[in-house]
Amino acid sequence: MMTAAVNHYFRSSIGRKHLVAITGLLLCGFLVGHLSGNLLLLVGPDAFNIYAHKLFSLGPVLYLIEAGLALVFLVHLYLAARLNIENRQARGQYTLKTRTGRGTTLMSASMPYTGAVLLIFIILHLLNLKFGTNYQTQVDGVQMRDIYRTTVEFFQSPVNVAWYVFAMACAGFHTAHGFSSAFQSLGLNFPKYYPKIKIISYLYAVTIAGGFAFLSIWCYLKGV
Amino acid sequence: MATTNNMTLNLKIWRQKDKTSEGKLVDYRVENVSPDMSFLEMIDVLNDQLVRKGEDTIAFDHDCREGICGMCSMMINGKAHGGFKNTTTCQVHMRLYKDGDTVVIEPFRAKAFPIVKDLTVDRSAIDKVMAAGGFITANTGNAPDANAMLIPKPVADEAMDAAACIGCGACVASCPNGSGMLFMGAKVSQLALLPQGQPESPKRALNMVYTHDTVGFGNCTTHAECEATCPKGISIEHIARMNREYLKAAFTYHEKNRSEGAG
Amino acid sequence: MSFNLDPKIPAGPLSEKWDKHKFEMKRVNPANKRKFTVIVVGTGLAGGSAAATLAELGYNVLSFCIQDTPRRAHSIAAQGGINGAKNYPNDGDSVRNLFYDTIKGGDYRSREANVYRLAQVSNNIIDQMVSQGVPFAREYGGYLDNRSFGGAQVSRTFYARGQTGQQLLLGAYSGMMKMVAKGKIKQFTRREMMDLVVVNGKARGIIVKNLITGELERYAADAVLLCTGGYGNVFYLSTNAQHSNVTAAWRCYKRGAGFANPCFTQIHPTCIPVHGDYQSKLTLMSESLRNDGRVWVPKKQGDTRKPAEIPEEERDYYLERIYPSFGNLAPRDVSSRQAKFRCDEGLGVGPTKQAVYLDFRDAIKRDGKEVIAARYGNLFEMYERITADNPYNTPMMIYPAVHYTMGGLWVDYNLQSTVPGLHVLGEANFSDHGANRLGASALMQGLADGYFVAPYTISNYLASTPLEKVTVDDNAFKDAEQAVKLQTAKLLGIKGSRTATDFHRALGHYMWDYVGMSRSEKGLKTALDGIRKLKEEFWSDLKLNGDTSNYNLELHRATRVADFIELGELMALDALERRESCGGHFREEYQTADNEAKRDDENFTHAAVWEYTGANSSPVRHKEELVFENVKLATRSYK
Repeated sequence: MMTAAVNHYFRSSIGRKHLVAITGLLLCGFLVGHLSGNLLLLVGPDAFNIYAHKLFSLGPVLYLIEAGLALVFLVHLYLAARLNIENRQARGQYTLKTRTGRGTTLMSASMPYTGAVLLIFIILHLLNLKFGTNYQTQVDGVQMRDIYRTTVEFFQSPVNVAWYVFAMACAGFHTAHGFSSAFQSLGLNFPKYYPKIKIISYLYAVTIAGGFAFLSIWCYLKGV
Repeated sequence: MATTNNMTLNLKIWRQKDKTSEGKLVDYRVENVSPDMSFLEMIDVLNDQLVRKGEDTIAFDHDCREGICGMCSMMINGKAHGGFKNTTTCQVHMRLYKDGDTVVIEPFRAKAFPIVKDLTVDRSAIDKVMAAGGFITANTGNAPDANAMLIPKPVADEAMDAAACIGCGACVASCPNGSGMLFMGAKVSQLALLPQGQPESPKRALNMVYTHDTVGFGNCTTHAECEATCPKGISIEHIARMNREYLKAAFTYHEKNRSEGAG
Repeated sequence: MSFNLDPKIPAGPLSEKWDKHKFEMKRVNPANKRKFTVIVVGTGLAGGSAAATLAELGYNVLSFCIQDTPRRAHSIAAQGGINGAKNYPNDGDSVRNLFYDTIKGGDYRSREANVYRLAQVSNNIIDQMVSQGVPFAREYGGYLDNRSFGGAQVSRTFYARGQTGQQLLLGAYSGMMKMVAKGKIKQFTRREMMDLVVVNGKARGIIVKNLITGELERYAADAVLLCTGGYGNVFYLSTNAQHSNVTAAWRCYKRGAGFANPCFTQIHPTCIPVHGDYQSKLTLMSESLRNDGRVWVPKKQGDTRKPAEIPEEERDYYLERIYPSFGNLAPRDVSSRQAKFRCDEGLGVGPTKQAVYLDFRDAIKRDGKEVIAARYGNLFEMYERITADNPYNTPMMIYPAVHYTMGGLWVDYNLQSTVPGLHVLGEANFSDHGANRLGASALMQGLADGYFVAPYTISNYLASTPLEKVTVDDNAFKDAEQAVKLQTAKLLGIKGSRTATDFHRALGHYMWDYVGMSRSEKGLKTALDGIRKLKEEFWSDLKLNGDTSNYNLELHRATRVADFIELGELMALDALERRESCGGHFREEYQTADNEAKRDDENFTHAAVWEYTGANSSPVRHKEELVFENVKLATRSYK
């Protein structure tokens, strides 16, 4: 049994939770970077386009980063889905309709659903923006993609804005539970500072979700 | 004491003849319930009526009836042990309910706890996890003087917080994932805190988690439902400590196959 | 037939007996140990520790418990602590001191050599439990903390909050689980022992009932250890768990094991009073409460005022009045009796008038609410949960309740009963507590027997006894199983009108009223008549449904009640024959001018050992004379 137990890590309940937590935190980090970059929208078209152009000009390095990001995302997605399926089976059958929780929050209970929304969101997001209309522009004589225009144009549709605001609310819910929960899963719940992690978790969720949602509304109001 | 304000309750109780039969909720009405009765005494009264009517009594687990043996179980209105703070089913008293209330009583439900009959479930999966490492190998007669090993009071107190687990399985039954992390975490954490538990600490974490995963418990997703339900108020901090122990063990534990040496 | 009641006490000075005996006993060599199988019935402190230790030694252990897991045995409910003569607080404690307190506390009705050995191994128990990870209370320096308990002038009690029994039991359970994983213990849960199988005069196996399937199962072994606890539930209401029963011990008695001092019952003074017919159990409030609580009743009969409205001069703090030097900390038997006397005088309080006050008003005034909350907060909460009264504002109401049984199957110094090969450990035997047990001693005895006594004496038995090969197909097993089947069929065939619980409750009334805190010849005879009649009614008017095929809880209950009724009769008989008062056994005819117990050392310095002689004849009373070479018999006084 001992050898099996030693080799069990990547199949174990806790080992896989560690991976979900680590990938989740990496994605949280990515979102911070993404949002900071996007804030350049507020500065103006040139600033935003130059920023994007610099990223594009990384070439193979960018592909590597993107591949890594995709891998992190897929691991997170796959393991979370697997755990969710197993957990549904482990629950046993409840016939009782009145079953009500005391510890479970709306945020923790909706993790699989908000996660699913985010999956759809990300696919559409890439199609609409990254692989959206390729406008070209020149800044200081340099030819580059006018991603600013693609973005602002996209948000001229109130439906798109509403969808983004909704998706970001989901992201907020997802990270509000996920961020602090990751620390718990990794064994970093120390009574001394865990309450602070929870607060940071909520602040993070509000900032990220609020930030992106704000930008989509800003684009809508700004107009082309 | 109070004979004047007796109550009538409408019960919906899960009846299931045995492990393999289909079960269903059956309606019962119990009259003359005194507010001073314990919840189990109320079911005793119902069972007494059933015996007199020539019917089979409702099977439920119970023993000490003072909140320490961990044998009583039941989901009462969807909550393990009825959902009162730091209280087991046997310590729930009828004064917490109102005349005319409808109360739904179901067995603890989890894949790891198959139903035996009615409200009785088989919780031997907990023993299996304990046998995988929930002990310190201190054979009788080996012990040094009790005061030879100093344990700071805060550490002893925290170990005691974890050791208070009564093994009732409410954490599993209330967990949306049917996970056994709280009772297992409490044991791993108790023994990880104490100096006596150190030599076996990596093996313990690896073996217990492995067994936990293979006997049908689900995974933790940090709902903290277990913490809210635990009749002994055990915190999920102990799950975190176990996660830490497990991480450490998984990446550092290495045992070579050696022969014990002939001499 | 006559019993061999040789206690087999080793010769030599008291303090050297056990060492000498250990040296002289035969041992089984390690390679041969695996050829022996030992049955352990019960998984409390005695059974759990014995099973774990025997398995560690190399024996094959078959362990049985009535609950769904060994961790639920009723040892778990012990609150206060466990004694050990460590003398850590430097208050002059010693093995001899603990020995003396226990002998005196038992009112000189226990066996010197056994008690001394108990005190000797008490220190090993503390070491063993600490090494198993029991989180005993500590001081800031990291050293173990001690507190004091009733009947002692030193602090020798080790504790883990109010859950000492739980922590010790989980320690023993973890030791068992370790050996279960190694395959040396086979654990059988939800099993109830229905009979002892005796082959060629030796205990060689048991018949158990699988409670879930109702099937009978046979298990053979080389020795049987009975660790099934006490029989307090004969009173119907007690602080015992619902499954605690006498059936296993009773069936051994019927197979030839002597039953010693069945009437020695401990009635604990501080329990939550009875409040209704539906009640299923009584809850203990720790003895430690009497350190700060003052016990009183109103001076006037039928005083219905609220306690707070009764002025100081109209209260009778009777324990302080009668026992000025011990006050509210008088021993358990004495305090219980005085509470009963007050209620008999019509001074009882509460709706049933069967309660006295335990008042913390003065302690709260003196030390402040916070200090009292730190000491007893969890107990106050438990009290409030059960009664809906808040002890910070109004006094607790308490009344004595059956708590522990000192009597049990007779055993010699090796813990072997009168049936060779049947060893009896823990509360199930009679040996160490005499006529009254001191607080924090039950845990000590269970673990002493299981960890440090039985493993040696079993080896001695196995090494020195010729054991022929026995299998479960032997006739003795078939016959025993058949007898159980017949009894079950008989129970199911009665088809009467009263439930098992009705009979149990009726038995409880006889026991409590006449074989309880205060006993008299007249009352005991009334009880004997009543119980005998009840037995006839039981076997002609029991209502029982279903059959043996399903998890039939009523059948299990009825089987236990049948044995309780027979035990009740024996207890009354034993109490009748013991014409003296001692410890928990108080005969109204034998008391001093001021209502204290009056022993008769000349005629009753013995253990009464009852021999079963058949269903239709009276049991025979034998004696084991108790020899006191090291202590002088004196009158216990707490004034």
